[in-house]
Amino acid sequence: MQSKLSDIELIQQTLAGNQSAYADLVKRHQRFVFTLALRFAKGREDAEEIAQDCFVKAYRSLSSFQGQSKFSTWLYSIVYTTAMTFLRKKRIATDSIDDEHTFIQVEHHESGYDTDNLENKSRSFYLNQAIEQLLPDDATIITLFYKGEQSLEEIAQTLGIEANTVKVKLFRARQRLKEKLERNLKQEVKELI
Amino acid sequence: MNEIEEKLWNYIDGTCTQAEQEAIARLIANDELYAKKYQELLALNQEFALMELDEPPMAFTFNVMEAIRTENALQPLKAAIDKRIIKGIAIFFTVTIVALLVMAFSSIDISGIKFDVTLPANIKLPNAGGILSSAFMKWFLIFDVVLALFLTDAYLRRRKTTKQV
Repeated sequence: MQSKLSDIELIQQTLAGNQSAYADLVKRHQRFVFTLALRFAKGREDAEEIAQDCFVKAYRSLSSFQGQSKFSTWLYSIVYTTAMTFLRKKRIATDSIDDEHTFIQVEHHESGYDTDNLENKSRSFYLNQAIEQLLPDDATIITLFYKGEQSLEEIAQTLGIEANTVKVKLFRARQRLKEKLERNLKQEVKELI
Repeated sequence: MNEIEEKLWNYIDGTCTQAEQEAIARLIANDELYAKKYQELLALNQEFALMELDEPPMAFTFNVMEAIRTENALQPLKAAIDKRIIKGIAIFFTVTIVALLVMAFSSIDISGIKFDVTLPANIKLPNAGGILSSAFMKWFLIFDVVLALFLTDAYLRRRKTTKQV
């Protein structure tokens, strides 16, 4: 069962030496951090490595968290930096990701049919599939906005850009997501026919 | 079309001004194109909100805490030891050495030792009092003070620049 204490209270307890308080913080944020990591890594193992690395980094610099922003905003900025470093290490340039996407897209698509369980494919399945096909930056902004309970200003803080730039990027990301979603659904209909 | 969508997204997100909000609301009410697009984007917005978060492996929290424990265990001794302990040990040794030196010097009897130094007749010691009160010494001291101020200023400027960087 997760703790009812606030993030700040859990941080204070962690800094006082209570490690189980930090475990509660991890439990509280792990799903979102893992999802964000997955937006960059595209593989569960790598995403797990990034997410784990983020929580260890956050623990290490917990004393430097001054509480001026939400803990989640601070944590997500760590996730973003760590994931970007991961991408650089893996030598996946953001510009060339689109080419690789074609491969990833086909791979994901085919694996979807391999499971052959069309009944279970809900709208959210298609949505997640379309998000996987987006560029990491687009997928991150969409995820932060819809699932991270982050305002445009907080997203700007997390990504280290201006709030207005976030607004523009969010608009473009939604457009691309809409296109991917429509394309995937059309393909699905064709397959069924 | 893009412009319409941009306006409508701002309206849905609530990121436009009150005046813009009212203007867009009027357009939605009166313009069929706006109304249709608005309904479409609204449905899309609700669908995006249905996005599901991925679940990390069961042992994720345990793995994170294990990584932290391992890192703490691997921490070098220098970083793990409380600095107060090091200071305490340093103070203990300093006090012991000072006490030993005081005891050693106090136990030496120097009353029997005579220091009788006679310089050869052709060597004359300079008049120290004269040097200290001379004009040359005054100018030398002034130069030293000015040089010290100049160097301190340069050092502080350098430190300020480093901090800003």
